[in-house]
Amino acid sequence: MALRMPQGMRLVNWLLGGWSIVVLLFLYLPIVVLIVYSFNASPRGIGFPGVTLEWYRALIQEDELELLVPLRNSLIIAVIVTFVSSLMGTIGAWLLYQYRYRFERSLSTLILTPMIVPEVIMGISFLLLFSNLGVDNGWVRTIIAHITFCFPFVLVAVQARLSGLDPSLMEAAMDLGARPHVAFIKVIVPYLLPAIVSGALMSFTLSMDEVVVTWFTYDDSSQTLPVKLFGIASRRGYRPELNVVSTLLILFTVVMVILTHWIGRATATKPQN
Amino acid sequence: MTPIAGTKPESKGPRRRATRAAWLLLTPLLVWLLLFVVIPSVALAFYSVATYAGLGEVTWTPSFEAYQKAWDSVPRVALWRSVYLALGTTVLCVIIGYPVAYFIGRAPERWRNLMLMLVMIPFWTSFIIRIYAWIIILRNEGLLNGMLQSMNLISDPLSLFPSQTAVFIGMVYSFLPFMILPIYGSVEKLDNALIEAAFDLGAGPVRAFQRIIVPLTQPGIVAGILLVFIPAVGTYAVSDVLSGRRVELIGNLIETQFRGKGGNWPYGAAMGISLLVMFVIAFWLSSIFAKSQQEQ
Amino acid sequence: MRIFRMTLCIAMAMLLAVGCKKETDTPATPAGTGAAATPKIGGELKILVWSEYIPNSVIEGFEKESGVKVRKKEYGSNEEMLNLLKGESYDIVQPSEYAIEYMIAKDMLQPIDPAKIPLMSNVLPNFLSMSFDPGNKYSVPYMAGTVGIIYNSEKIKEPITGFKDVFQAKYKGRLIVLNDSRELVSWALSTLGKDMNDTTPANLAAVKPLLEAWIPLVAFFDSDSPKDKLLAGDADIGIVWGGEGALILAEEGEAEGKWKWTLPSEGAHLFIDSFAVPKASKNAAAAHAFINYILRPEVNVKIHDDFPYLNPNGEGRKLLTPEQIGNVASFPPDDALKAMKVFRNIPDEQTAAMEELISEIKK
Repeated sequence: MALRMPQGMRLVNWLLGGWSIVVLLFLYLPIVVLIVYSFNASPRGIGFPGVTLEWYRALIQEDELELLVPLRNSLIIAVIVTFVSSLMGTIGAWLLYQYRYRFERSLSTLILTPMIVPEVIMGISFLLLFSNLGVDNGWVRTIIAHITFCFPFVLVAVQARLSGLDPSLMEAAMDLGARPHVAFIKVIVPYLLPAIVSGALMSFTLSMDEVVVTWFTYDDSSQTLPVKLFGIASRRGYRPELNVVSTLLILFTVVMVILTHWIGRATATKPQN
Repeated sequence: MTPIAGTKPESKGPRRRATRAAWLLLTPLLVWLLLFVVIPSVALAFYSVATYAGLGEVTWTPSFEAYQKAWDSVPRVALWRSVYLALGTTVLCVIIGYPVAYFIGRAPERWRNLMLMLVMIPFWTSFIIRIYAWIIILRNEGLLNGMLQSMNLISDPLSLFPSQTAVFIGMVYSFLPFMILPIYGSVEKLDNALIEAAFDLGAGPVRAFQRIIVPLTQPGIVAGILLVFIPAVGTYAVSDVLSGRRVELIGNLIETQFRGKGGNWPYGAAMGISLLVMFVIAFWLSSIFAKSQQEQ
Repeated sequence: MRIFRMTLCIAMAMLLAVGCKKETDTPATPAGTGAAATPKIGGELKILVWSEYIPNSVIEGFEKESGVKVRKKEYGSNEEMLNLLKGESYDIVQPSEYAIEYMIAKDMLQPIDPAKIPLMSNVLPNFLSMSFDPGNKYSVPYMAGTVGIIYNSEKIKEPITGFKDVFQAKYKGRLIVLNDSRELVSWALSTLGKDMNDTTPANLAAVKPLLEAWIPLVAFFDSDSPKDKLLAGDADIGIVWGGEGALILAEEGEAEGKWKWTLPSEGAHLFIDSFAVPKASKNAAAAHAFINYILRPEVNVKIHDDFPYLNPNGEGRKLLTPEQIGNVASFPPDDALKAMKVFRNIPDEQTAAMEELISEIKK
C-alpha cells in the first residue's frame, strides 16, 4: 500500500532517488574503468592506444601471472566458508531466539566482535594462534579465519528476520504433529530463507574480497585471488591481466546474482499466516 | 517529542530457559568462539606482556615495556591519524549513505533486493583493483583531470594523487556498503502508519525526518557507525596505495612488526590489545546508549 | 534450500571449469641446453624466496625436468624470511648480502657442495667470493643490482647527478624513492661523506636533519614498482632499483633520451641476492639441483627478461640482446662497479633504530 505523502515528500523522494543514482555512479565508476581498461592495448595502462582482446587471450591461454589458480582457490574457500557460516549463523540465531541462555550478553559481544575488529588485529591474533598450535596448512587457517568473521553476518541477518516471526507458526506446525526439528526445517527455514540468502551473499562477498586477514593465514598452495592480486599490483606494478580477471569476476557475479534472483522468484514461498 | 516505538510489533517468541539439549546444540558455536575469538585474543594479550628478544623472538618474562613503547609518540601520532581518518570516513559515509539506504528501504519491495545487489556487486571485484582504478581516475594525467582539462574547466591538473583527498575517497568507497546495509535494515522496519500519522499531523518532510525517521532508524545508524569506524581505524592498505605510503597509520605499525621489518611482536601485540580494549569500551558504551534509547 | 543448492552447483561448475583449464594447459618444456639435463630426483623442494622475483616458467621448467614438486613461500623482507625460518624447514632461501652474513655467523646455513653445482663456473669472478661469504662456501649469486637515480629529462631541465640534486625544494611532490629505511639512511650517510654501513646512534643523529629535510619532499615511497608511477607521470624523479630503471629505459628506448639514469655521485652500493641452503633442509639434493638449474644460461635469460638487474651470470649475458647489455641501469660502467660496496650485517638495535628514525620523521 503506497504511503500517502504530502507534496513536499514526493519531491524529497525524487531527490533521494537522484542522490542514490549519483552514489551508484560513484560506486561503479572504478568498475567501469577497470572493465574498459581490460581492453586497453597499452600494457602499462597509460593513455589509450587502442582496443584489444590480447589480455584476455593471455590470461586464458598462458596465465603467465598464474592468476587462475588463486581464483579457483578463492572460489573454493568462499563456497566452503559460506556454507559453514550459513549453517552456524542460522542455527545460532535460532537457538538464541528460542532459548534464554545465561551469559547471553557476553555471548552476543563475542559473536559480534569479529564483525567489527580491525582486520589487522584479527590477522595477527590468528598468526599467533596458528603458529603456536603448529597449524601450517594454509587452507585450514584461511577457511577458519574467514568463517570466523563471516558467520556473524549471517547470524545477525537471521536474527533480524526472526524478530518478525509469528510465534504461532511454530506452535501450529507442532500441533499438527511435527517434531521440533522437522517443524524447524519445513516451516521456519523457508521463512528465514531471504535472510539466510542475504547473509550468505554477504559471507561470500567478504570471503572473496578479503585481503588483510588472509595475508596472515595463507600459504602458497592456498593463495587467494585478492592476496595474489595485491602481491602483483604492488610488486610488479600495473598489469592488464589484473583488470581482465576482475572483469571476469564481475561477469561471474552478475550471472550468479541474476540466476539466484530468478530462482528465488520461481521458488518463492510465502509464510503461512 | 520523544520517539515512540515505531517499528513493526516485535514478537518476543517463546523464550524458554535453555535446556540441556539447547546448550548441547549451542556447543559447536561456543567451541568455535572459544577457539577462534577468545583464545587468539588471549594469546595476543600474553604476547603483549612478553619481552622482546630479537626478530620475532620473545622471552616469557613479564614486562610492560611493550605497552610503554606502544604509547610512545610515534604510535600515538599514528593512532591519532588513523582515528582522524576513520572519523572522517564514518561521517562521510553517514551523510552519503543514509539517503541511499532510506531510498532503498522505502522503495517497492520487489526493487529492494535488486538495488541492494547493485550496491554489493562492485565489492565482488578485488579491493586492490578497485583502489588502483581510482589511481587511473585521479592521477595527474588521469581520467578526471583529462576530462576537466578538455572541458577547459581547469588549466593545471588537480593534484589528487597522491593526496589526503584520494585516501578519503578510497576509504568512503570501501566502507559505504557497511553503512548502507545496517541503516537499510532499520529503514525497512519502519512502520508506514507512524510516518503517515506524522504527515497527517502536519509535519513537513524535514520535521518528519528530524523528529521521527532518523531517531527511529538510530539502531541502524549506530550499527553502521560501529561497522565502519572501528575497522577503519585499523585500515592501512587504502592509505598506502593512495597516499604514496608517506604516512604511517597504526595498522602499518602493527603489520610491520609481524610481517615486515619490525619483528617486535610484544610491541605489535600491545598496540593490538590497546586498540581492542578501546573498541570493546566503545562498543559497550554504544550498547548502553542503545538500550537507554530503547527504554525511552 | 533449493536456491542454495543451485547456487552451489553453479559455483562448483565454474570452479571445475577454471580448475580443468589449468590442468590442460601445460607449457612447453625448454629442452636443457648447455649442461646435462637435471637428474630425476623427485620429492619436494620448499623454497623461501622474495615475493615475485622468480618467473613462474622457471620453476615449472625445473619441476618438469627433475620431477621435484616445488612449494614456494614468499616474503617481503629479510627480517620476515628469518622469522619464517623459525617455523618450518625450507630447502632454499634467497637472502640479501647482509642477511647471508648474519646467517653464516648464526650457523643457519649448510655448506654448498660444489660438485653438485658445476654451472657455478657461469658466474663472473667479480661476483664471487665477496666479503659476506668468502669462497662462496654457503651461497650462490642469483641477481645483483644497484640503486640509482632516474629522471624525466623532458620535465627536469637541469641535470641531476646525485642526492643533493634530487632533494631540492623545487622538486617537492615529484619524487619517488625506495620505501626502505636502511637505504634512506645510507644515502644520507653518503651525502655527509660517512660510511654507509656506519649506522651508529651518533651517525643517525647526524643524518636526522638531512632526512627531515628530504622526506617531506617525497611524493611516493615505493620499493616495489616505482616504474609505473614514473612512466605515468605521477613522479618525475626516482631513486629506484637498477632493474626498475632498466625497465623504464627499455620502455622509452634510451635513444629517445627522455629518461636519464645516473648513479649518485655521493656513492652507490651494490646489492646481491643469493641462494643458500638452510641447515634444516630436508632435501639438499634437490636444492643443489635447483641452484644448478637456475645457473643455466637459457634459464638465466628468462630471469633477466623479467628482472633486468646486474646479471652475474657470464654465460647468460652472452644470450642477451644488445639493447639489454647496453642498458646502463642494468649494467653500470666497470669503474663505477669496482668502487661499490655492499651492505654489511649490522646489529638488530641499529636496524630498529633506523626504522624508528624514519617512522618518526614520516609522521
